[in-house]
Amino acid sequence: MTIQVLAWQALSGLSVGMVLFLIAAGLSIIFGALNVLNLAHGSIYMVGAFICYSLTSTFAHLAGVFWWTLILAPIATALLGGLIEIVLLRRIYAQEMLYQYILTFGLILILGELCKLVWGVGYNTVAVPWPLTGSVSIMALPFPAYNLFLIGCGIAVFVGLWAFMRYTGLGQIIRAVTHNREMVNALGINVPRVYTGVFMLGCWLAGLAGTLMPPMSVVALGADMEVIIGCFVIVVIGGLGSLPGAFIGSVILGLLTAFGIFVAPRLAVAFGFILMIIILLVRPWGLMGKPE
Amino acid sequence: MRSNGRKILCMVSGALLVFALLTTFAYADKEAILVGHVHSMSGAMSMYGISCATGGEIAIEEINAAGGVLGRPLKQITRDDMLSPEVGLREAKDLVINKKVHFLTGTISSAVGQAISQYAKEAKVLFIINISQSSRTTEELGHRYVFRIDTNAVPYFGYGPALALAEKWADKKVISLGFDYEMGHNGLRMFKEKYFELVPDAKIIDALWPPLGTTDFTPYITKMLVSGADCFFLSCVYGGGELAFTKQAWSFGLYDKMHAVQPCAGDVETWSKVKKGEPYPKGALATCRYPFWAIEDPRNKKFAEEHHKRVGFWPSYGGMNQYFIIYALKDAIEKAGTVETEKIIDVLKGMELNTFVGKVRIRECDNQAMMPTWYGIMDFTPDLPFPHITEVKALVGESAYHSCAQIKELRGK
Repeated sequence: MTIQVLAWQALSGLSVGMVLFLIAAGLSIIFGALNVLNLAHGSIYMVGAFICYSLTSTFAHLAGVFWWTLILAPIATALLGGLIEIVLLRRIYAQEMLYQYILTFGLILILGELCKLVWGVGYNTVAVPWPLTGSVSIMALPFPAYNLFLIGCGIAVFVGLWAFMRYTGLGQIIRAVTHNREMVNALGINVPRVYTGVFMLGCWLAGLAGTLMPPMSVVALGADMEVIIGCFVIVVIGGLGSLPGAFIGSVILGLLTAFGIFVAPRLAVAFGFILMIIILLVRPWGLMGKPE
Repeated sequence: MRSNGRKILCMVSGALLVFALLTTFAYADKEAILVGHVHSMSGAMSMYGISCATGGEIAIEEINAAGGVLGRPLKQITRDDMLSPEVGLREAKDLVINKKVHFLTGTISSAVGQAISQYAKEAKVLFIINISQSSRTTEELGHRYVFRIDTNAVPYFGYGPALALAEKWADKKVISLGFDYEMGHNGLRMFKEKYFELVPDAKIIDALWPPLGTTDFTPYITKMLVSGADCFFLSCVYGGGELAFTKQAWSFGLYDKMHAVQPCAGDVETWSKVKKGEPYPKGALATCRYPFWAIEDPRNKKFAEEHHKRVGFWPSYGGMNQYFIIYALKDAIEKAGTVETEKIIDVLKGMELNTFVGKVRIRECDNQAMMPTWYGIMDFTPDLPFPHITEVKALVGESAYHSCAQIKELRGK
């Protein structure tokens, strides 16, 4: 195993991890602020992927259609998220956790069936957009430019979100809600509106991941279930509600799987779960989370 | 007095309504011959479920329009197994116990298929498989009540690809990638069985097993690229997973680096939307269960077009199989003169089906229909808008399957 091959495997692990990060970050932020574990988060991602397919295939004749889609599709999923929060979720904040699970699980079924009705059961693809079609030579081995772009997107979104949370007034309010919502309410801040905003932000991220994924994968039913388990592993490793936790968790899960495949392919999938179990036993609040 | 009269009127008309409903149901139950169909109707594999249900419905409408079977109409009741053996088994039991279906059909997942098969054995209900291909279901685990009208893993994943590879390149170092479940392992086992016989010094240098449903194979592909293999073999990576794998392998240049054996690529339902210039399994050896564009029989053309008209996509091999299953049941019921399970089974064993892919016999020793398997090389031709197998060859007849002697030995173990 040369250093070259190692670097290559690391990059391919990161490109898997970064897409999952976008979804897990939304899941984590929503949990942090709203205290809701949105089981249907993968479904929002799948809706984003289908919207990406619809827009890119309907307007295939327009130049740079993918880049327009990258702006529009996440906005669409954010609006869908806003609708879900206002019409459904808002009613159950005061109830116990079980109601959340039932509601968000119900949403998985509803959104899955809606996708089936609207987009059918076929397998759809989206072409890799210009100018990312070629590959870049990394230590003499060709690596697809699009996968490098995915890694770049993940890092850019992490830095952007982190700066937003840290340095803007709105970000500070969201963090404050995460820490103590009663106090924020007492300070005259409209907490329900913050909730809607945070839920929309989380869904925007899921939609972004849903738009970024199709050029290297496939748009089809079942995408929701495929990503959500990985995302749960990530947020447990990193700490539910923590943005840096989601980032570190994604990097760890991506690398662990990639090198797992290299060293012991038969067990590759298990490594992530084993780490999750260890973390749950030793540090249940996750690497970057805070104990209650 | 007046209000009392109204009350009585309500009661009587209510009772009449109930009786009317009851008799309709009783009449329907007595009349229709019910075929239970358990398949994956939601999620990643729902294309196959919908295709199978549609294939069955087309056959049933044709038969009912021509007067039904023994003067009774056929009816298919479809249920969703959600790819879970537990759910599939529950639905199968509900169909048999509460809906009183006469026969069970269906399933794509071999895990679900084996769960229902076990139940069929205990409950003595006829179960005919239209997709799930693990050869174990009808070989090691086979019994009187389970039939399969579809190819199985032996010709499709094993002998077909092995013959093609031995003929074409006879590569020595093979790396495999398969979905980590019953069928993935069964497929690789069948491929090894034949390929090592044909190319004795060949080796599987590594076997990779992503979980069923994976769509991001990047780290597996980078590993395959540096493995030093001459050729890769995909064991039961199909549907969306296969499409995603192909795109990723294409962008990493895997098809230029080594030979490809990609069994499922020959079946068109995954590829019908892929256009020239887009990633496809370039030059891969592939098997195919239903090359509908190449079959001359007019019944085939009519079926494929009817299927496309109803659901908007070309039929999968499963849709074709369910169509054959309904006709096989019709023929068996007419021959036996009854819907009684034991008598139907006696007729089905050894029966020859007159299908649009030729005359297909149901073998007695494993209740397996000797369906043909085609294989060839993936390419584009001017005739069709999607990639498909070219230089097509067919594996026909019993020699493509395990022999009855081999099965006896497998069962003896």
